[in-house]
Parts: sequence; C-alpha cells; structure tokens
Amino acid sequence: MAESYPSLTQCALVAAAFKVLLFPSYKSTDFEVHRNWLAITQSLPLKDWYFEKTSEWTLDYPPFFAYFEWVLAHVARLIDPLMVRVYNLDYDSWQTIYFQRSSVIITELVLVFALQCFIDSTPLASKRAAQVAALSVILSPGLLIIDHIHFQYNGFMYGILVLSLVLARGKTTLLSSGLIFATLLCFKHIYLYLAPAYFVFLLRAYCLSAKSIFRIRFLNCIKLGLGIGGIFGAAFGPFAAMEQIPQLLTRLFPFSRGLCHAYWAPNVWALYSFADRVLIHLAPRLGLAVNQGALQSVTRGLVGDTAFAVLPEISPRMCFALTLFFQVLPLIKLFSVPTWENFIGAVTLCGYASFLFGWHVHEKAILLVIIPFSLIALRDRRHLGAFRPLAVAGYVSLFPLLFTPAEFPIKTAYTILWLVVFLMAFDRLAPASNKPRFFLLDRFSTLYIAVSVPLILYCSLLHQIFFGKAYEFIPLMFTSSYSAIGVVGSWVGYMVVYFTA
Amino acid sequence: MAGPAPSPHKPRRKPKKSGIGSDKPARSEPLVRAPAFPLAAFLWPARTSSSQWEVLPVILMVVGLFRWAAGLWGYSGFQKPPMFGDYEAQRHWMEVTTHLPISQWYFHDLQWWGLDYPPLTAYHSWLMGKIGAFIDPAWFTLFASRGSDDPNLKIFMRATVIVSEYLIYVPAATVFVRRYGRLQGVANWTSSVALVAILMQPATILIDHVHFQYNTVMLGFVLASMSSMIAERYKWAAVFFVGALGFKQMALYYAFSVFSYLLGRCITPRINLTRLFGIALVTIIAFAVLMLPIILGTLYDASQGIDSRPEFDGPPQPLPLFPGLTEYLDTESYYYPVVEQMIQMIHRIFPFARGLFEDKVANFWCAANVIVKLHHFPAALLQKAALGATLLAIIPPNIILFLRPRKTALPYAFAATAWGFFLFSYQVHEKSVLLPLMPMTLLLAGKQGLSKDIRAWVGFANLLGAWTMFPLLRRVDLKVPYMVLTLLWAYLLGLPPTSFSAYFQEGQAAWAQWGTAFLHWSFFAFMGAWHVVDEFVVPPVDKPDLWVVANVGVGAAGFIICYLWCLVRLVQESDFFGKGQSNKAKSQ
Repeated sequence: MAESYPSLTQCALVAAAFKVLLFPSYKSTDFEVHRNWLAITQSLPLKDWYFEKTSEWTLDYPPFFAYFEWVLAHVARLIDPLMVRVYNLDYDSWQTIYFQRSSVIITELVLVFALQCFIDSTPLASKRAAQVAALSVILSPGLLIIDHIHFQYNGFMYGILVLSLVLARGKTTLLSSGLIFATLLCFKHIYLYLAPAYFVFLLRAYCLSAKSIFRIRFLNCIKLGLGIGGIFGAAFGPFAAMEQIPQLLTRLFPFSRGLCHAYWAPNVWALYSFADRVLIHLAPRLGLAVNQGALQSVTRGLVGDTAFAVLPEISPRMCFALTLFFQVLPLIKLFSVPTWENFIGAVTLCGYASFLFGWHVHEKAILLVIIPFSLIALRDRRHLGAFRPLAVAGYVSLFPLLFTPAEFPIKTAYTILWLVVFLMAFDRLAPASNKPRFFLLDRFSTLYIAVSVPLILYCSLLHQIFFGKAYEFIPLMFTSSYSAIGVVGSWVGYMVVYFTA
Repeated sequence: MAGPAPSPHKPRRKPKKSGIGSDKPARSEPLVRAPAFPLAAFLWPARTSSSQWEVLPVILMVVGLFRWAAGLWGYSGFQKPPMFGDYEAQRHWMEVTTHLPISQWYFHDLQWWGLDYPPLTAYHSWLMGKIGAFIDPAWFTLFASRGSDDPNLKIFMRATVIVSEYLIYVPAATVFVRRYGRLQGVANWTSSVALVAILMQPATILIDHVHFQYNTVMLGFVLASMSSMIAERYKWAAVFFVGALGFKQMALYYAFSVFSYLLGRCITPRINLTRLFGIALVTIIAFAVLMLPIILGTLYDASQGIDSRPEFDGPPQPLPLFPGLTEYLDTESYYYPVVEQMIQMIHRIFPFARGLFEDKVANFWCAANVIVKLHHFPAALLQKAALGATLLAIIPPNIILFLRPRKTALPYAFAATAWGFFLFSYQVHEKSVLLPLMPMTLLLAGKQGLSKDIRAWVGFANLLGAWTMFPLLRRVDLKVPYMVLTLLWAYLLGLPPTSFSAYFQEGQAAWAQWGTAFLHWSFFAFMGAWHVVDEFVVPPVDKPDLWVVANVGVGAAGFIICYLWCLVRLVQESDFFGKGQSNKAKSQ
C-alpha cells in the first residue's frame, strides 16, 4: 500500500506555522500560572516549591512537572531574566511570550512522535485510517484552543499518554507502557482518572498469566512494582525526605472547590443544574420547596460553590461513588478479555465516567475522552457513530474558554474546518461493522450536529445583539447543556458498542 | 448519515472539452504517483473527489484562518505618533467620508493623511465607516479618533480587509484559476493546488492583512478583468479594469497591457469596429458612473452653499496643476465647483511634485542611486529619464501582446509590464511589488504551472519580493509573521530554503537547468546571509542604511531578471519567432 499523504510531519509543520502566528493571541491566566512556576522553580530551593504563595497561582502539579519547569527555566533565564522572578507578577514581555509559546510548540513534538509510533504500530490494512486518526489528534481544535491560545502543555502530556497507550499494544512493551503512565501521573495527576483501566489491564495482561488468572507472574510483578516505585520515588522522594507530602497533597487535591467549575463542563452536573434552574420556575406549581438562599448563587451560574435550589445537593462522595461505579463496569469486561482494543475502550470509558460524574471537572478534561477515543474511532462505523457527537460536543464546549472577539473567528472557523475535514474523512475510512447499527443513534448524531449551527450562532452573536451584556450565563448554559447532551449521548452509545463488540 | 452524498458526480476527465485540441494528449498532470511538493501532498486526498465544491470551502477556510491569525500581529503605525501609518490613513478616510460632505473629501486637512486615492476607495471607506460607526461611533469621530489604537477597532479593520478580499479578490482568483486552467487543459485538482498557492502568496498577506492596506481589492478587480478577457467578455474586462483604476491608481501599471490586449482583440484576427466602439463606450460609461456620486454631490453641496474648503474665506483658491485655468472659467458658475473638484482629485491622486523614489525601494533608480548620486541631476531630467526608461521597458511586451493577443500570454504580458513600471517608473513604493507579483504568480494556474521550472521562477520572484519588503515590515516589528509566512509558502511549494527539489526540470537543456539553479541559489544564499547579517551585525556608523541598500540593490537586480524572464517567456508563448510549439496556437 502506498504511503498516504499528507504525512504527519507535514501536517505538524504547517500547524506549527499557524501556531506561531497565534503568538499574540489571547492568553488566559494559565500563562501567568506557568510563568510563575518557572520563577518558583528557578529562584527558590526545592523545599520552598510547594510552600511558595506570593502569587495566587501556586504550584499545584506533581513534582515531575515542577522539574520540567525547572529545566525550562534554565533556558528562560537566558532569554529574559525578569521572567523568572517570583515577585514579577503578570509579567508578559515579548520574550516571555515567545519563549513560553514556543516551548508549548516544541514539547508537542512528543505527541507527534507518539502518533507516529501509533501509525507504525498499526497493521497494514488499517494504516491509512490510523494515519487520519493521528492527523485528527495533532490538528485537534482542542489542543489548539487550550494549548496554543489559552495556554497549557496538554500536547506534551497527551503525547506521553498516547505513547504509553501505543506501547500497550505490543506484548513486549507492556512494562514500559505502565512505567510511562506512572511517569505521566507524576507530571499531571488528572490522569489518575485513567489509572483504573491501566491497573486492570496491566494486572491481567502483565502480572497474571494469560491462561489462568490464578497463576501469578511474580517476576513481572516485581519488575512493574520496582519500576513504578522508582518513578514515584524520583518524583516524590525528595519531598518525602523533607516531610512535605501532606502539604503537597493539599496542593494537588484542593477539595474545597465546588462541584461545577467556573464555566460548566458539559457533564451530568451541567444537565443537573440546568434541570434545577428549570425547576425553580416550575417549583411553585409542583409544590416543591425552593431553597431561597441558593437562588442568588444559581442565577450567577458562574460560582465555585454551586448551590441547588430545588434538587438535592451533591457531595464529593457521591461524585466519587458514581465515577467509580461507571468505571468498574467496563473494567470487568477488560479483565475478562484484555485486548488492546478493549484496553483503549476502557481507558476511554474511564475518561467518560470521570468527566461526566467527577467533582469540579474542567471542560478542558474532555480531551481525556476524545484523544484515547480517536485511536479506536475508526475501527468501524459503530465506533464512529459514537465518536461523532463527542467530537462536536467536546470541541464546541471549549468555545467559552475564549471569549475575546479577535479569537472568535479562529476558534469557530478552525473547529468547523476540523469537523468538516475529519468527519468526512472518517466517514469514508471507517469500515462497515459486522454488527447491526443502531438506527436511533445515527439519527440522533445527525440531528445533534445540525443543531450546533444555530446554537453557536446564538451564543456568539445573536445573544449579544438581543440582550447585550445581560443574562451572560444563558449562552454558557446553553453551550454546556447542549454539549452535555452530546457527551452523555455518545457515552451511552459507546457503552453499548463496547459491551456488544 | 451526515457527510457527503456518495458521489453522484462524474469521474474526473483529464482534458476538458474546451481549450486544447483533442488530438494532443494534454500533459497537464505533472504530479502522478507521489506529490512532488508538500502543498500537493496536502491536497492529495482530494484527487479522487470529482467536485471542486468539496475542496473549495476547505481551501477558503484554511487561507482565511492564516489571514486572520496573521492579522493578530501589529499593523503599520501602531502607537507611533505623530503620524501613525497606513492603518491610520485608511481609518482616517472612513472618518472623513462618513462625517464630511462629499465635496470636502479631497480637500479636508490634507496634512493629516488627506485622501489621495481614487473615488472607489472613498466610497469603500464610506461604506466601511458607516458599518463601523454602527458598532462603535467613537472609532470614527471627526478629529477625536485620530491615531486610535482601540483593540476592537483593529479587529473591525482587519475584518473589513478580509471581507473585502473575500468579496472581490478571492472569487476573482477562483474564477481566473478555473478559466485559465481549463483553457489549457489543466485538471481540476491541479487547479486547486494552484489556487492555494496563489491565495497563500506571502507578500499579499503581509501587506494587506498584517501591515494593513486594501490592495487585494484593486488586484481582485484586475484579476476579474483578466478573467473576463479569457472568457471573451471584453466589455466586462473594461468595466472591471475601470473598477481597479477607480480603487487605486496603481492599477495603471497594468493599463498598457489591458489596452494592448483589448485593442489587439479588436484587430486580430479581423478588424472588429463594433467591438472597439463597444469597449470604448462601456469604458467611458464606467468612468462616468464612477465619478457620478462625486459630481452630483459637489453640485448638490454647491447648491446648498457648502464650500469644499470652508476654512478659506473670500475669493476661490487658485487651482492646483492648472493655476491659469481660472482666467478662462467663471469661478461663480454652477460648473466651477465640479472642475475644481476634478482637478483637485487628479492633483491628489497623482503627486507629480514628489521625488523620483520614496524611501528605499528595490527598483532601478534606487539601486542606481547607490552608484551615481541621482539627486545631483535636475528633477526634470530625471523625470524624462524615468519616462523614457519605463516606455522602453513596457513597449516590447505590449507590442507583442497587441500583435498576438493570446489568452495564455496574458499573465506574462501583465507581469512584464508591471515589472517595467515597478523598475523604471517614477514614485514607486516598495509595496508596489505586489503588482508584478500578482500576474506572475498566476502562472502557477497555467499549463505546466506546477512544473519545477515555473514553480522555481514564480517562487523566486515572490520570495525576493517579500524579502525586499522586509525593511518595511521590520520597522513595525513584523519579523515573525514575515518569517512564518514566507517560509511556509516556500515549504508548501518545495522551494529554497526548505527544499531544492524545484530545480533541474526534465526536458530542459543542461545549461538552462544549471543556469537557473545557480542564479536562484546565489540569490537565496545572499538573502539568507543578509538576514543573518542584518540581525546580528551593526552597520558601520557612517553608513547606517548599508544593509537596506544591499537589500535594494540585490532586489532590483533580481527583479530585472524576473522582468527579462517574463519577456522571454512571453516571446516564446506568442511564437514570435515562429519556432516550434505550434500547438500553442490551438489554444486560442
């Protein structure tokens, strides 16, 4: 089979050119967050890293990420020494922008490499599909919006994740897959959400014999245990030695935050609070009690601690239980049939469960679902049918992240371009499934995609014309409720596909 | 299911019926098994799609995204008092046209970016100003808005450039590429590749969308005019060209070619007087329509007692250009304001009183100035010299075009004429290099347009052109978009410095292959070295402009080569010396 074009490198290059042009675009407080971390790691001794609080943006990522910032800071110091001063809050000279933005582009090469490994590891018959899937990830509007405009290092992080997922494909590279995932956890702990799938998969495929689950492969267990122990030791060891682990944990897991993040991530709780808002108006007729105290906070819609007026409150414990429950379901199947496809499916479903039911979920976390799913979305048309609304919903839900007028054409045109190009390409490439399709799901996804057009139009344009600055929460609420329907719908659809495959 | 319908289209046929004779197998597909350069790779998956309508929206979105992203960077004159820059000029015209009576447009405070473009620009400014004032009136308040750096205004202004371009230049380019390609049996897919290459031209994006101007509107009218010529709609060609002239006088660079071609078409193959008179009549009507708002407005204002120069009391001011005219005219008559208005407009549009060249521009005079100090010569002599040299440069291509008015030769003749003007005429600005670059880049859409040879030459001219504008861009901190857009374009088309694959065209004589490669590579090497030197080495104290002068000198030399190349190709294309290639005649 001939090599297919355009190649991953070509796309990455042209995309990089576009990203460099985006240097002067809007940047969120995350830009200052990362600058502050550069400053902390560069100018303070290790023991102060997790205690420093001159800036409100304290270091709240695990140690490997701090070490990564420490390495970057050595270069940053040469480019602009003022960048790495802790007291120099909100510093954004051109050198700082050039440096930080290009560090995102350069570290994203990890993702390019990982995706190339993914293409190379795919059997010949589906190589072309794999290549298109890889292109869809590297050109993802999610990464463009979050990393290259809003500012974060997700390309780098997901590069590590994809690399680990790809290594899990080969029987001989299972150990390195697990170790790389452990490393990833020490970079950014959000990936803990995916850890259950890794745990089950490595347990079944690596630590237990393929023939019987009662035959334990002790050597493998020891290798894996020592490896993971070593990695965590390297990350947390120094802090453990200084007896700082409790402080570190309070920084990493701030449970004091609310159920819904500032914007509403499109998950079950967005639908829940939407239902609550609707019920406020229906409550008098239905004879339900309204919690007056919560009314004020609900109308804001943007608060950290969302209180519900009619529906019962949600506690972190309930979120945790629900998440775990919906994670365990796919893991049972993974444990009994530990194939790579099931593993990726389980990772995706773990991502879904945590995104949909998690506490204080940020809409950026949707990548946790989309990126693993992209690797298997082209298996057949049933998978694609579940993937399609996810892609639309996930990327549309990121729109509120960028609210400045200059970035509006970029986020919309780029996302539409991506959806048009890739959904069309996927449509051509996904083979027919040997199982019957769900008529309803297909209709749902077509209708769903069609609705997005008037929705985007209303939220970004018409609302301002009709209401001006008033009712600012309405577009946000619509966007997140709409996206939540898509994500939930695609989750249900994929659950069915996963369990019937 | 969403997604495309399962292709009810006909499979792609290589040569279209029109154009080339069917007996000759069209070798229109230079790319067969693997893409020869990255841009072809990007469109590779679209080869199987038989409809251009699937590809076109994607192309337009991509080039639009690059334009908008480039527009995030600064514009000329951003927070640079006292005069700011081109951006302020355009914004100021919106302010003037929306706030003042039409008869005062060409007279209002000429020291502050007085209107000096033809009326269509003024009408365009008026429209944009009206729309802008609907969003935020503060952007265009009279006097108070001068030098405004409101970030939202910037977004609005950027949007006006994109919208104007997408309404005029982009459709014109799309249609031209299709027609020109079909004329020569170029496959749809190849035309799409050429279209992207044309729309991603770095110099145009940098000047219009980054540095700020509306050149693409004028260029778009010229493109529409050329494309009407190919479609044999000569009256439309004349109308569009009047539009181009009415938007920006710089379109005069092409005027000779338009004239020669249209006249040639009225004479060969047989004399066609109806056509000639038709074109003449339509041209006059178009000019009249163009002027009508100004004339009627002036008459109306005069009847309302609105003076075009309210700041002056007493007797009418002397007329510019023709001060003696007032002796023959009744200054109190009803038509006098119109005469005054017309003369003022011409005076504003053609600044005869300025020097031979502005700043440092890579044309012949500025380069020659390095060797011979031209300002020692009397201005009148220089003007005559410029006129003579320009005529000498533009007469050959236009005679050829007049005698052999062939559609396929159009871009060559337009490019050669515009190069002639750019190199030798009076009062040239470095941005004017866009004019010769536009028709030259169109060659990509022609037969063998994506072959190594044409790609190499078109790429050479474009990269050199962008490079000569670097000093202009550097002044407003636009090094990064310059680097990104030029390197990206070079990469997409497989050109140096990213790749050397566009050289050694098969079927060419060895000396021609080596000659082209050696010539281009030495220029590219110089450009690269120049960038390094310019960045890291401070010029000697007594010659602070040394690097810019080097840029100008080398640029002018390269452009002269481009001019000669276009001329030689035009001669070949027109079979002037009757050498072989008789198949070309069939494409008429």
